[in-house]
Amino acid sequence: MSSSSDEDESYKMYKDRPEWNDVKSVPQDDGPAPVVQIAYSEKFKDVFDYFRAVMAMNEKSERALELTGSAIELNPANYTVWHYRREVLKALKKDIAVEMKFLSQIIMEQQKNYQVWHHRRALVEWSQDFSEELDFTADIISRDQKNYHAWQHRQWVIQEFEQWDGELDFIDKLLEQDVRNNSAWNERYFVIEHTTGFTDEVVKREIEYAIKKINLATKNESAWSYLRGVLQDKGLTWSKSLCDQIHSWRGEGLRSPHLAAFLLDMFDEDLEKKKCDVNKTMDKVRSLCKELAEDTDTVRRKYWNFVLQRMTKEYEVK
Amino acid sequence: MDSSTSFERKKHIRFFSRILQILPHRYSILDTSRLTITFFALSGLDVLNALDHLSEKNKQEIIEWIYSLQVIPNEAESNTCKCGFRGSTCNGVTTPQYAKAMESTNEYDSSHIAMTYTGLASLLILSDDLQRVNKKACLEGIRALQLPDGSFKSTYDGSENDMRFIYCACCVSAILNDFSAIDTAQATSFIRKSLCYDGAFGQGPGLESHGGSTFCAFASLKLMKTLNSALSKQQLKWLEYWCVSRQKMGFHGRPHKDDDTCYSFWVGATLKLLGVFELIDFKENEEFVLSTQDNIVGGFAKWPQIHPDALHSYMGVCGLSLMGLHNLQPIDPALNVTQRVRTHMEELHAKWAAAETRKLQTTSMDRSRTKSSTIDRTHTGTVVLAFVIGLGAVVVPWIYKVYFRHAT
Ligand SMILES: [Zn+2]
Repeated sequence: MSSSSDEDESYKMYKDRPEWNDVKSVPQDDGPAPVVQIAYSEKFKDVFDYFRAVMAMNEKSERALELTGSAIELNPANYTVWHYRREVLKALKKDIAVEMKFLSQIIMEQQKNYQVWHHRRALVEWSQDFSEELDFTADIISRDQKNYHAWQHRQWVIQEFEQWDGELDFIDKLLEQDVRNNSAWNERYFVIEHTTGFTDEVVKREIEYAIKKINLATKNESAWSYLRGVLQDKGLTWSKSLCDQIHSWRGEGLRSPHLAAFLLDMFDEDLEKKKCDVNKTMDKVRSLCKELAEDTDTVRRKYWNFVLQRMTKEYEVK
Repeated sequence: MDSSTSFERKKHIRFFSRILQILPHRYSILDTSRLTITFFALSGLDVLNALDHLSEKNKQEIIEWIYSLQVIPNEAESNTCKCGFRGSTCNGVTTPQYAKAMESTNEYDSSHIAMTYTGLASLLILSDDLQRVNKKACLEGIRALQLPDGSFKSTYDGSENDMRFIYCACCVSAILNDFSAIDTAQATSFIRKSLCYDGAFGQGPGLESHGGSTFCAFASLKLMKTLNSALSKQQLKWLEYWCVSRQKMGFHGRPHKDDDTCYSFWVGATLKLLGVFELIDFKENEEFVLSTQDNIVGGFAKWPQIHPDALHSYMGVCGLSLMGLHNLQPIDPALNVTQRVRTHMEELHAKWAAAETRKLQTTSMDRSRTKSSTIDRTHTGTVVLAFVIGLGAVVVPWIYKVYFRHAT
């Protein structure tokens, strides 16, 4: 199997390049009985034979830089090549902006490669120029809304250079496109945690926000998890208006398993704080668990039966 | 799905055996991590109870190849921070002879934490006694990779740092039975900070919960034995709920993502460690994993109808093993090797401990022979310690025997 560039006739092997004939290539020494061998292409062997030679000489030159480019094209996951490239860039005092252009192209083709994103962060750390990072990650995210690397890089930039403004708007747009985008929900929590914090006012606002989104898609786990998340310190029953909303959804006959699970945890909290009539509440718990196990969430039926047993053991008076 | 799909054991054995030999050119991207692929194939064969498909000669060759990847200290010991295992020789270990391959020759030659972990695990799978592992250097290599926030990078020259590499550091320490190279308090603190609002773990603080990082985080807490101080009862309940919620038919790694074979292990093993694995739907999970099986060449893929790969093939058999299906060997969910390998590892630890005790006893005897005036406080300490250990070695079995007799 060969890549298109293998067939590119203008491509010249390093061993045939006159500017390299002073260098003795270094073949890979894989020992007498190598394991998990790779059937390298001729081109791959040629490039890495010269890359090993360059590393052994520790040569930091224009031609070495070009060679790392060829090596990266063939194996962008080789972290040593990237590291060596950074050493060369530093030694030659290269223009980071040019490197950034080269890198952006590679990331477009290799969006889920750890090394390319690490290289990007290293470059931004050197140059302290983050001016393109938010647009760049937004572009990647628009192609793949859940790209973990892009979100991670974006969070790093936002935190490192305090670029919090505008992020909530960015998230709003993403959630308007896809209310189930869990990465965007996570980003919302991240932004609030680091800016206003979850004050009473903010929690109330976020409850309203989640309720609106749940009304658009009642079985959206992301919105329900977010609701639990913003209430984790205060308790699920903290907001009267949310309690009313939960009961009114139930009253309307909404059968979302997430709603039932949320209500179940509200009962759990009441029981733990001894804020309710145990027998009456346990009756409700039983019917919720039954509904989940037998009707709305059957793949987890054993889990819901287990939850019922656990709560019975914990709260029911013998 | 076709209900007649059966588990193709023989084809999987062939698949893993083939991987150990040669991969086509399109896998060149795995060049730096061939040791990890070796681990997937060997452990896969082990889970299939098929290691005897490799000849003794072949096993020995693999052991030699793995040892050739060990980065050991140079004469000046200036590279201990880079010790451990490399994933292959691709980055230029240029030695005239294979036997000398263990000597590091260029400043860019360095171990990688995932390779140190999978290299050691592979040696254990092949029943090696780790005698030729430079344990001290391996641990120094690990120590050099921990960052102030408690997380680990993968190589000394720099890389991203996240939950995966904390897990690798814990596995190396567990295998070598020595956690002194890890600041476990800091590592635990990093893991706690990576607990997401939805109850599971991201790759780092602020990041989205993910099945893979959740496994790495939770298994690390188990291996470091810091779980009890790290998570409350309520947090464990939410983690349980998040994990069981990952099952659609098989398992997926994040809410609203498609099921993927590897999460039958990542999430499954986390549930096993939580003690609630039995609560999932086995039948659906099995059906999904088998739907990603390649019925012609063997192995498993991430999704149905695509090509199988080493990682998903290994995770596929592990996911099925967790459910005790198809006569697969039981696995240890924290270390991600078979229980047979874990037992072998623990036997080695017992041997090392016994050797250590003998060494201390000999030292104490030597010292007691020297004049008492030369015994300073430190020596006295050593003697007392050796005495206590020696006494323990004699008394404990005696007490056990007596108790045992009386009890029966
Ligand atoms: Zn996967």
